[in-house]
Amino acid sequence: MSVEGVPEVPPLSRQVTQEGIRRYAEASGDFNSIHVDEEYARATPFGGTIAHGMLVLAHLSEMMAAAFGLDWLAGGRLKVRFRAPARPGDTLTARAEPRRARQVDGERVFEYGIECSNQRGEALISGTAEVVVGRSR
Amino acid sequence: MTSANLPNLADLPRGRELPEARFRLGADDVRRYLEAVEDCSDAYGQGPEGPAWVPPLAVAALALRTILEQVELPAGALHAGQEVEFRHPVPVGASLRTRARVAQRSEMRGAVVSVIEFEVREDGSATPAVVGRATVIASHGEAPS
Repeated sequence: MSVEGVPEVPPLSRQVTQEGIRRYAEASGDFNSIHVDEEYARATPFGGTIAHGMLVLAHLSEMMAAAFGLDWLAGGRLKVRFRAPARPGDTLTARAEPRRARQVDGERVFEYGIECSNQRGEALISGTAEVVVGRSR
Repeated sequence: MTSANLPNLADLPRGRELPEARFRLGADDVRRYLEAVEDCSDAYGQGPEGPAWVPPLAVAALALRTILEQVELPAGALHAGQEVEFRHPVPVGASLRTRARVAQRSEMRGAVVSVIEFEVREDGSATPAVVGRATVIASHGEAPS
């Protein structure tokens, strides 16, 4: 749904793989067994390894950075709940739905409802994103 | 310090401040992060060795990791929610320091819900580059993973 004055943000898709999860563990230093130890993870209520929440959230941040560039780095905000885990083999889609534009202390702010869902349409992360435009100039 | 010396996150009261921690994200760290999350956006500028700016969520993720290394996380602890605000870009190679505290603590059906409030500043900067709040749910008294 388009909202007057709020730019559309193109969606973004990514595959979850165990190799990608391992790479993220190395990049972030988070080697929690639930992410990287398949034998351990099989014995948990998840029944297998899951991706780091911050790895999935990175796709939403990338989507906003691609749309707003330096404005996202200088005035981006995310507020999300991690609702369900992403698993190896999942195809994730990050989306942003325009909500409104407003002025805050003389700055223009765009607000979006955001979601990252899997190939079955289940919301894994949902929440809001805001970006203050023009702050980076 | 061994993990046995670390306080359990679920035991930390509201208001408890965690020790200041420092970290740095150099060109190799940023390249490794971008490859791991498959981020091919050109939003991070161009520096001599790759991107000029650190992806802002990398700052938040590495800060959170640095902060959580100072506590014991019970087995099965879940990252349930995240708020993060990017206030100014962080240049690749900047030295960063984190401050964090337990902003909220509550108990619900045998689990402890802790909200950790944190900020990340560049050395010498008067204002934070990134601020955030992470919600972690942990069962009381479970052994660490």
